[in-house]
Amino acid sequence: MKKIYIIAILMVAAAIVLLTSAAEDMSTYGNFSDAAAMGNRVKISGQLSKDKEMHYNPERDPNYFSFYMTDAKGEERKVVLLSERPQDFELSEQLVLTGSMKGDEFIATDMLMKCPSKYKDEEVYIKSEVK
Amino acid sequence: MQEIQYIGEHLLPGKIGQLAIMLSFSTALLSAAAYFFAVQRRGRPAEAANWLRIGRWSFGLHGLSTFTLIGTMFYIMIQQYYEYQYVQAHVSDDLPMKYIFSAFWEGQEGSFLLWMFWHIVLGALLILSDKKWEAPTLAVLATIQVFIGSMILGVYVGFGDDPMRIGSNPMMLLRDVVDAPIFASADYVSQIGGTGLNPLLQNYWMTIHPPTLFLGFASTAIPFAYAIAALWLNDHKGWLTQGLRWALFSGGILGVGILMGGAWAYEALSFGGYWAWDPVENMSLVPWLILVAGIHTNLIAKATGHSIRSTYIFYVLTFAFILYSTFLTRSGVLGETSVHAFTEMGLERQLIAFVVAFLGLGAFMIAWRYKSVPAPQREEAASSREFWMFIGSLVLLFSGLIITWSTSLPVYNKIMAYFDPDYIGRVITDPIPHYNKYQIWIAIFIGLLSGVSQYLRYREFNFSKYAAKFGLHLGIAIGLSLLMSYLTTLWIDIYAWQYKLLLFFGWFIIVSNLDYLFSMSRGSFKMASATLSHGGFGLMIVGILASGLNQEVISNNLFVMEGLIQGATDEQMRKNVILFKNSPLVMGEYEVTYVSDTVDQFTRTFTVEYKRRDKSGKVVEEFALYPNILYDKTFSKVAASNPSTKHYLGRDIFTHIASLPMVEIDLEFRRQREDSLNYKMHEALLGQTLYFRDTVPLTDQDTFYIKDFQARLLGIDRSPSHHDYHKEQGDLPIGLSMELQRMDDDSVYLIKPVLVLRGQMLYSYPVQINDISTKVRLDEGIFDAVFGREVEMDYQSFTFKQGDRISYNGHQISFSGFNKQPQHENYEPEEGDIAVSAMISVQAKDGSNHLAQPLYLIRNSSPLNLKDEVPALGLHFRFTGIDPKTETVELMIGQADTTERPIPFQVATDSLRSDYIVLEAISFPGINLFWVGSSLMMIGLILGMFLRIRRP
Repeated sequence: MKKIYIIAILMVAAAIVLLTSAAEDMSTYGNFSDAAAMGNRVKISGQLSKDKEMHYNPERDPNYFSFYMTDAKGEERKVVLLSERPQDFELSEQLVLTGSMKGDEFIATDMLMKCPSKYKDEEVYIKSEVK
Repeated sequence: MQEIQYIGEHLLPGKIGQLAIMLSFSTALLSAAAYFFAVQRRGRPAEAANWLRIGRWSFGLHGLSTFTLIGTMFYIMIQQYYEYQYVQAHVSDDLPMKYIFSAFWEGQEGSFLLWMFWHIVLGALLILSDKKWEAPTLAVLATIQVFIGSMILGVYVGFGDDPMRIGSNPMMLLRDVVDAPIFASADYVSQIGGTGLNPLLQNYWMTIHPPTLFLGFASTAIPFAYAIAALWLNDHKGWLTQGLRWALFSGGILGVGILMGGAWAYEALSFGGYWAWDPVENMSLVPWLILVAGIHTNLIAKATGHSIRSTYIFYVLTFAFILYSTFLTRSGVLGETSVHAFTEMGLERQLIAFVVAFLGLGAFMIAWRYKSVPAPQREEAASSREFWMFIGSLVLLFSGLIITWSTSLPVYNKIMAYFDPDYIGRVITDPIPHYNKYQIWIAIFIGLLSGVSQYLRYREFNFSKYAAKFGLHLGIAIGLSLLMSYLTTLWIDIYAWQYKLLLFFGWFIIVSNLDYLFSMSRGSFKMASATLSHGGFGLMIVGILASGLNQEVISNNLFVMEGLIQGATDEQMRKNVILFKNSPLVMGEYEVTYVSDTVDQFTRTFTVEYKRRDKSGKVVEEFALYPNILYDKTFSKVAASNPSTKHYLGRDIFTHIASLPMVEIDLEFRRQREDSLNYKMHEALLGQTLYFRDTVPLTDQDTFYIKDFQARLLGIDRSPSHHDYHKEQGDLPIGLSMELQRMDDDSVYLIKPVLVLRGQMLYSYPVQINDISTKVRLDEGIFDAVFGREVEMDYQSFTFKQGDRISYNGHQISFSGFNKQPQHENYEPEEGDIAVSAMISVQAKDGSNHLAQPLYLIRNSSPLNLKDEVPALGLHFRFTGIDPKTETVELMIGQADTTERPIPFQVATDSLRSDYIVLEAISFPGINLFWVGSSLMMIGLILGMFLRIRRP
């Protein structure tokens, strides 16, 4: 058998090993109760509770932004994002948080926001309104 | 419904554009077909020549019509014809012309056109440079143009209520795309404005990055076209030289395009890094990796005749992955996994068809000719260079496939959800460690292979003779690399053995390549390009390790933070600090001060000073960084935050504004905040000291602050200054000098709030004392307190001759003469004025002496007078007339109530300070090694191309 084939087979084997181990790095979008039960880092997607209080006071702590989010199962929890308050936060349609539960709070270190597209059909800028 | 006759629309460019789109598409189709027959009829030269001519002409026409379309689009964009949807979406009145290119390729249609543009340019080069391969390669290229051209067609195919739309047409009128009530008015054109270019994209990177990247994208089509052409003609060796040249060009340009993306992210965006394993980055990297694999097998094929099949496969895969990347980034399938904003345009099916068609074409051609591709019977020797180069190519392919696998997870989720609606999609929790974990081993392998195989020879048949030399050089290289790695660890902290291994191999590539260049290849130019690329790769690895592992957030002042966050453990995540204006803060080895900020249109630039001191406290280094933010058009939010970076040879200090006080972000919020301040009224006499107490509720807790204050009024200022107040003619300003102190604070603040009466309006200029979160403003009652007693007083008229003296309310008043050069605090001389003042001396009851100079003025033939007063006595003088005959003057004298009235002012003690920025600062050591190394890689590739054009 050609040496190349041996090496190719070795690589395929390595690939299988790598990709099965890659499953550890993956998770489904979880919810708060899963996160509390598991205790490790998870990704949670949900919606901002717009009626609840948002708190960011950089004078006290520029890396502390708290708000409430409702996860896919409808459970609402307080979330602490260890970062500044992002722009357009209140406009977000969906949030994806990475972090873990600490007591009753979800401590997030990373957040992605999905905002409404700027190409929405209604949004025709009218000059007279801008003025 | 009645047709509306619209006013002010420019429909001609639209018609030209539509024509150009159709022509561009149909000529591409014709060209593809003609070139196809030119190849198929190659047995009959006369017919083939005719087809070739048609193909060439129609490709020329295709180029012409595409350029016309691009020109028309630029025309309507520059003219700001907002009746066109594309113009409305990407241009606005305030968009500077220098961003017109950026605006052009901000949209999908524009970037498709950019891509087509490069294909046409490269196609023209092919026609000019390689007559032999013109027909088959152009047939492929024109077919690609047909597919891209279809993306901007905008025609509907099919019947019924839901016809399928093909392409998104960039020349559409807004009113045909959007249904809005405004289109009911015939003159809607004069009422609409543009959306404009996303502020994040308003920088020069957006001008240079997309054209470079798209040239890179477009250029991968050429090796692909050659591969298909060679399979088609069954000529498997004749294309290797040209294929290699173009592949080297493509590798260089695509690489530069990718690097520019990284540089953009690092220099101009607030990502805080140059690579984040974002899906969009990944999917431009993967084709590059496979292309580089193809370059290596192409080299093998040229040198030994091995690996021709793999070269075909790699070039086909490169182009297929370019198309797959286009699909991923433009279809919206990546959704929430990427920070890049994508818009769905309903082109998914077309994009999938694009990928499938060319992957299928490649696969079919390879399968068709597989048996006839020549391959040497003899196997490569394990001691030969080609053997290990080939393994290296496989490793690169492998790397690309792993990245693709992880990046494609959203696609996999979508497919699974299609079959099983209950399927819950999977995501990678932390992408960066995930990718690093695998790619580190790829990099180690590549380091090993490219270092060792450099010393090996092509078609090795007698390794035993060569082994001693090989071993010697390898030994030297290993030794030197170990030394260099050790020295590197003195500079940067490499904390895991995997990274140490990678560091070693990084140096190993550099050392072995240099050694090979000087001692074995004896400075051969061809080898120089390989050395440059490989050495650059090694340098890049060292740079990545240095800047990635030892990047340090210096803006985490733990002293300030401690105890403030409950439940947080990850110190690394605390990346922001708050910087109060003019209060230095120690960050890492620097003393950082936020000094000032300036606003220019929508940009606000902050000056942040960095000072480094030696042990004795002397400043040894000082520099300023200027991060800025861009407001949106209504000043209600920050649209973009642009970092500023200090570049040293050995490292970078990166700084950006993470946040600002809410009152500084949103003008409307600032107004509301000002209105909601809890002002309390106080009053006191001049010279008096007032004590008062205030309670402030804390926002998120049921507690109150109780604060005691002390205020002392110093005096009234009739011509006060205030940094926001600009004096206008006719203003009646009043300022109150006062001292304010919060009793728990040592500092006494000397302030002067100002109130201005301008016409019928009152303008207040309060003073904010940030350190004690207090704001002071004057109450309008101050006018009564200061001027009120004057309003109520009666004037008596007197006639004076020079030297006359009268008694008034017990004061002796005399007129001692005229002043022809009068000065008066409210008088500003104008041309044509006749002004004179009366010098009046007053000897008061108590024996004190005072002077007053009321002014008499004739301006524009009408008499005016400006009064003067002796405040201590409450005496007011007006100079109302001169009688030249009798040489007398007429003076009005009034006596005001001298008892002082208390002066009212208002204090709000809940006015939070707003003189700070929230800053993120990161130190990136050795990042220049990354830039230099990666640039050398690309220079090596381009150099390789030039060397092979000169001497194939």
